[in-house]
Amino acid sequence: MRILVVVQRYGAEVVGGAESHARTLAQRLGRRHEVEIATTNALDYWTWAEHFPPGESADDGILVRRFRVRSGRRKDYKEIESRVLLGPHSLADEWEWLRAQGPHAPDLLEFLHREGQRYHAIVFYTYIYEPTALGLPIIPERALLVSTAHDEAPLRLAPYRALFQLPRAIAFLTPEERDLVHGQFRNEHIPSDVIGLPLEPAPLGDAERFRAVHGVRGPIVVYLGQVTEAKGCDELLALWSSRDRGETLVLCGQVRMPIPERADVRALGEVSEETKRDALAAADLIVQPSHLESLGIVLLEAWQQATPALVNAASPVTAGQVARAAGGLAYGDLASFEAALAQLLAEGRSPGERGRDWVRAEYAPERFDRRVEDLVSVAAVMR
Amino acid sequence: MSGSNGRDGSLLVVVQRYGDVSGGAEAHARQLVDHLAPHLRVEVATTTAADYWTWENVFPAGDTVVGGVPVHRFAVARGRARDFRNRERVAFAPLRTLADERAFVDAQGPHSPELLEFVHARRDDYDGFLFFTYIYEPTAYGVPLVPQRAVLVPTAHDEPAISLSVYRALFHAPRAIAFNTEEERAMVWRRFRNERVPSEIMGVGVELPEGISADRFRRRHGLEGPFFLYVGRVVESKGAGELFDFWARWRDERAPGGGPGPRATLVVAGHAEMPVPKRDDVRYVGRISHEEKFDAYAACEALVIPSPLESLSLVTLEAWAMGKPNVCPARSRILAGMTRRAGGGLSYRSFAEFAEILTLLLERPELRDSLGAHGRDFVARTYTWPRIVASYRDLFAEVRARNAT
Repeated sequence: MRILVVVQRYGAEVVGGAESHARTLAQRLGRRHEVEIATTNALDYWTWAEHFPPGESADDGILVRRFRVRSGRRKDYKEIESRVLLGPHSLADEWEWLRAQGPHAPDLLEFLHREGQRYHAIVFYTYIYEPTALGLPIIPERALLVSTAHDEAPLRLAPYRALFQLPRAIAFLTPEERDLVHGQFRNEHIPSDVIGLPLEPAPLGDAERFRAVHGVRGPIVVYLGQVTEAKGCDELLALWSSRDRGETLVLCGQVRMPIPERADVRALGEVSEETKRDALAAADLIVQPSHLESLGIVLLEAWQQATPALVNAASPVTAGQVARAAGGLAYGDLASFEAALAQLLAEGRSPGERGRDWVRAEYAPERFDRRVEDLVSVAAVMR
Repeated sequence: MSGSNGRDGSLLVVVQRYGDVSGGAEAHARQLVDHLAPHLRVEVATTTAADYWTWENVFPAGDTVVGGVPVHRFAVARGRARDFRNRERVAFAPLRTLADERAFVDAQGPHSPELLEFVHARRDDYDGFLFFTYIYEPTAYGVPLVPQRAVLVPTAHDEPAISLSVYRALFHAPRAIAFNTEEERAMVWRRFRNERVPSEIMGVGVELPEGISADRFRRRHGLEGPFFLYVGRVVESKGAGELFDFWARWRDERAPGGGPGPRATLVVAGHAEMPVPKRDDVRYVGRISHEEKFDAYAACEALVIPSPLESLSLVTLEAWAMGKPNVCPARSRILAGMTRRAGGGLSYRSFAEFAEILTLLLERPELRDSLGAHGRDFVARTYTWPRIVASYRDLFAEVRARNAT
């Protein structure tokens, strides 16, 4: 089959969950099919400033067609956004919001209009940006949508109302995303599946090395990811500061907020993949305070090291993952945090081992490939 | 299921023109609204235009009542552009861009942003939305605003505009599609591959007026002997020019031995936008009333429908209901397909076949009657209001159930 993957940014140096997922999917599909990419020449998801040269190039053996960003995120985007999401506004404002968000790449849309029918199937990534929101309606009859939808206000805007009725098939990353989209759009009749992502088995970390290098004794609770308010770290640190039970909280990731000066809080900054695995192996559990996780890949990495997880019950995806894997517990307030922490410390590694077995089965690369292959076949127009 | 007031929920009908206006799709919308109104709380959203070409603002904007049904009229901000023909030519060219296509929709009119804002703002206030005619902006840009509650009556023809990318999503987005004929559905499926969208053959019902009289029509217009009937706007795009040409050739050249053909008259009824030939065997009777049309069907030998693009030919259904056959060009694929399926008439691929068919129908009354009887049966099976109203009620009950929380 000839398959085109449409995504707002593409390349090894692009940082972003949906974009990495798109690249992984394209590379895996590329083993069995003729795969091409249509994307913009942006690198940064906020400005959408032109970065890559427009035109054709090869990335890991895959043909990438980059189309110029004619306008990026508008300077007054935040104003338009707050009007559209919070205040009285018109239909026209909602369409203006989409344009103001960027990336506006009309040449990409013209390409789909002109050449779209040369492909048997077209995979569209991320419902929210213009290449999908305006591109999929041009060629709905062979479209597979990977929506990566969150429970966020834009999902209810006019530009997306028809979008979720149009594709031939939809791929969700989690069961929670599927439930959200079905509830919002009542589009259960469109064939869909939860594809997750493919996880190769990870090398085991070295717990002793971690303790030795960083001089940590006693129980360890690890946090992995950017240390910011947006990820719920302010709440986590507030919880942690109101207690003193002898466990050490180890923060692995770029620090973008003030950290309290305490002996039981260690901020290591960004760490290597190897150190990350060592930290997970050394940890008694991993904590995930974020309210809004779309996939919770950190959880999956923790379970690969058989480390149990303690997650915020307010995040449906991570709480759902923990419940499905039986790989840890979810907390609400300080009291339940304390109780769950104590229970997990008492249970040892067995919740983590259940998580490991679940990840092995659920995120097996062959399983991912099979699901993607099935959805692409449903979407494809073969005559 | 009926609500406490005995009606099955609310429905907004969106159509480019409504009320005392000409046009097949508009007449269709009006008749359907009148028949659904006893069962659903029906309202109409439309423009202030009366003319399908200029879309000039004629009716006052605002809320009014037509035939007991609330109608919301919105101003046309832009009618048909002066350079529409040019835009159309560019948009139908093989190398057209998306921008060219959007410019065509915009130049075509009626551009009524207030109508779209209304649909958007009231999206949760109606249980269902019924959109008429795929090609105009209110439908093309309106359906995507309420896809979960939308039923589309595309009245699609196999014409250049339907191949534009800008219309593609429209045929995939609605909850259901109400086609006029099996042939229209087959054409749309072939083109869009949207078989997954639930659909039904709906169309309109045919009702015969009281006291139909063939003699009255003959007397009023002083008609003697057999005649063929043309009913509709007399324009080139409806095939009137070719019909006049074929008629003259048949009458002047095709008799055995080379003389004039069998004696017969062509009766032309409708608004003439081109000259009607001045001949003894062509009689132009101008526009005629709905009732008089049925007198004419009763009196004629057969109905001639030369239009190359018909979605649902109402006059054909009416003639069939009166037991009269139709004659149409084979290249009018939807009408010719329906005619063949009904066994209610004959279609021609050339002048020779046209002449043959007309001669046959004159000389073989038993064939004419048998075709007419088949047509009448076909209409009774498919195009009756009780069946259509029941189907729409089921459809909107399903739409409502699907969206119930």
